[in-house]
Amino acid sequence: MRDFRKPIKKSWRPFLFFFILLLLLNAASRAVSGIAKRSGELVRDRNRSYVAIQKEPENTVQVLVLGDSESYTTVSPMQLWKETGIPAFVCGQSGQKPQETYYMLKTALETQSPRVVLLETHALYNKEKKINAVQNVVREAGNYIFPVFRLHDIWKAGFSGKHYSGKSYKGFEIRAAVQPYKGGAYMKPTEEKEPVPEFSDFYLCRILELCRAHNAELVLYSGPSPVNYDYRRHNGLKEAAEEYSLAYVDLNLEEIGIDWDKDTLDKGDHLNIFGAQKVTSYLGKYLRENFGLEDLRNEEQYQSWNREAENFMEQYCKIVGNMG
Amino acid sequence: MAYHTALYLFVFLPAALLAYQLFPARHRWKCLLFFSYLFFWLISGKLVVCLMGMTVFTHYIGVWLGWLKTQEPGAARKSRERAVLIFGIVMLLLFLGYLKYYNFFAANANRLLRTAGSSWGFSAKTLVLPIGISFYTLQAIGYMADVYWEKTAPERSLGKMALFLGFFPQLMEGPISSYSQTAGQLWAGRGLKGEDLSQGGVRILWGLMKKLVVADRLHVLVKTVFGSPQDHRGAVIAVAAIAYTIQLYMEFSGCMDIVIGTGRMFGVTLPENFRRPFASRSASEFWRRWHITLGTWLKTYIFYPISVSGPAKKWNRFAGRKWGRYAARLGVSAMALFPVWLCNGLWHGPRWSYIFYGMYYFAVIFTGLAMEPVWDRASAFFHIRREARYWRPVQLLRTWVIIVIGELFFRAISLKMGIRMFFSMFQGFSLSALWDGTLMKLGLDAGDFLAVAGGCLAVGIAGSLRERRGIGAEQLGKLRLPVRWMLYYGLIFAVIIFGAYGPGYQQVDLIYAGF
Repeated sequence: MRDFRKPIKKSWRPFLFFFILLLLLNAASRAVSGIAKRSGELVRDRNRSYVAIQKEPENTVQVLVLGDSESYTTVSPMQLWKETGIPAFVCGQSGQKPQETYYMLKTALETQSPRVVLLETHALYNKEKKINAVQNVVREAGNYIFPVFRLHDIWKAGFSGKHYSGKSYKGFEIRAAVQPYKGGAYMKPTEEKEPVPEFSDFYLCRILELCRAHNAELVLYSGPSPVNYDYRRHNGLKEAAEEYSLAYVDLNLEEIGIDWDKDTLDKGDHLNIFGAQKVTSYLGKYLRENFGLEDLRNEEQYQSWNREAENFMEQYCKIVGNMG
Repeated sequence: MAYHTALYLFVFLPAALLAYQLFPARHRWKCLLFFSYLFFWLISGKLVVCLMGMTVFTHYIGVWLGWLKTQEPGAARKSRERAVLIFGIVMLLLFLGYLKYYNFFAANANRLLRTAGSSWGFSAKTLVLPIGISFYTLQAIGYMADVYWEKTAPERSLGKMALFLGFFPQLMEGPISSYSQTAGQLWAGRGLKGEDLSQGGVRILWGLMKKLVVADRLHVLVKTVFGSPQDHRGAVIAVAAIAYTIQLYMEFSGCMDIVIGTGRMFGVTLPENFRRPFASRSASEFWRRWHITLGTWLKTYIFYPISVSGPAKKWNRFAGRKWGRYAARLGVSAMALFPVWLCNGLWHGPRWSYIFYGMYYFAVIFTGLAMEPVWDRASAFFHIRREARYWRPVQLLRTWVIIVIGELFFRAISLKMGIRMFFSMFQGFSLSALWDGTLMKLGLDAGDFLAVAGGCLAVGIAGSLRERRGIGAEQLGKLRLPVRWMLYYGLIFAVIIFGAYGPGYQQVDLIYAGF
């Protein structure tokens, strides 16, 4: 009689090989994530938000800010905390793509239950070739499932003694440099519109589904930026917001007192700390009025936020003082 | 979607393998053809018509030549066959030449016309080059010549011809294979085998290690120095030239590992393109070990035909009678080597630095041939046995210097800049730059250099084991399962942990895909 054991054993080998590989990848991911959480200074700037949001005590963040560099140069969580007592965290990254936004949100929602998710809209206009966009989907899914891919080179900073030292206050860094914008008015009314690209629209849908599944309100906002916004984009975003019944705040149209001689970091591309203060004040009022978020400054579990806000103010005064 | 991307490795390739296996054996080549054209379309979009057009044309010429061969033999048939072959080759070269070299020709012609005082000139055109055109054009020309020489029978099926020219692993960077090397395997429809899959997978992993751990990491240093050569001199230029030589080898040979590994998974054995090139004792040996399939193509379709051509034979007779065998051989060598190296340089792209690169190797190899009697006498005089072990390091070092200088000109943004960089290498040259921290200012840190050194060491040891003791991937498969799997996991994690990818690194396009 034929002995079937040997071939069966052989046919299971590939499955066993990949099963062990998955276990090893999981173990490596846990190990690397642990090191990253303990030694944040070894983590590259672009990955820092992923690690930082996971380090926050569970269910303490009420407002999550997502997007590309326009997000982390427009909302200052420490100022928002000082003014309104709303705990917010900026999970923005330079050049964040919609796929990254989605997985950043998914990561944040593992430990946090924000009431509001603020999505800065410039990331939606990331113009990628379709093939690159699909490539990034595969990459980001891999990074999310196995963080060892994202944090793989943490050994290098440890080995070389290199520390990525930019001080971040809940995802916001103080940037006080000034390079005025001299281009004049840029939001000239028109009926034309620049629709949200198809691929971004797909991810906007997925982000919205994720927010709804976690009882979070998704709000679209456009930070002031003559370089990145015009009325055509405003119309496109307004249409997308209406289609998905989302709130949309375009700070390029709101009167929040941006002085383009003083409030921009780089000729109208991004805001500096002074511009971010104005946006943050406006959004603070907007969040309080529209979502009834409470003032948590006197809550016991938020005392570390009060201390960090003091540090932030000290640092702010020092930097602004140095500017004369 | 290059071969080293997650999309290719985790989506495209598994989908192609699955579909291939699900197809009935006699239709599997159609599945490969579909995925090959899908691959091309995903990268070059509607330029797929160029590949289609070239395929139809090559197929037609092949069938035409085949038909002529059924006619009455004689001088008239021979001359008609030659005319058809020349027509086929010229048309393909004109097409390639127009897309690839038109603007280069126009710019240089305009410069000449301006010098001559003419106000007339050629206007520059926006021409998009379909991916891999330089590779499959050579395959198409090789196929036509092989049919002409009756080395192969003309392919009757247009679809099979399309697969031979467009097989997706070969599309971007070769290897340039002859029809007899791959065609039969492509439509054999062999089912997937566990051994092929695992051997192919290991080869792909090895290629990824070369590309991601070493080549992409060195890219940072190379780009820093070659991007602003005016800011660097002395040892830094030399280090950058060495780094580029290593980068190019690791990148191209790594890509070939992925390509050959992919082919192996489908049961197709593609020709090797590299065989430890840095173990070469001379420049000509280097070119027998580096980009082997291009060298073989140039040798088969340019060098040999010229060597046995009428003018070469005439010269051989004339010079042999007048100046002796040495002069006759030297003349024929020059006659055949010059177009080989000119074509080699030009094939890489429309730049003077590439032409110079080809001519540089022509000069080096021709000088080597011309000086052969002098070396023989000198060796005898100094009692040097050139095959002896003690002489090997000298030959290796000499060859490395030749290679690195060649790559310096090859990588420089222009020929002028290459010349400037070459001379600036000797200005303020100090070995202290290697340890005084200068190298750490070029974008890489100690960890990066360690990873590069580790990768190079692994590649060196593996290459040596394969060439000297015949220990390759096949022998790896004979190891006990736990040991073998530990090696596989080790390699996978080496790529994941030490790979230069993700934030802080630039995704580096395949260099040869640009040629």
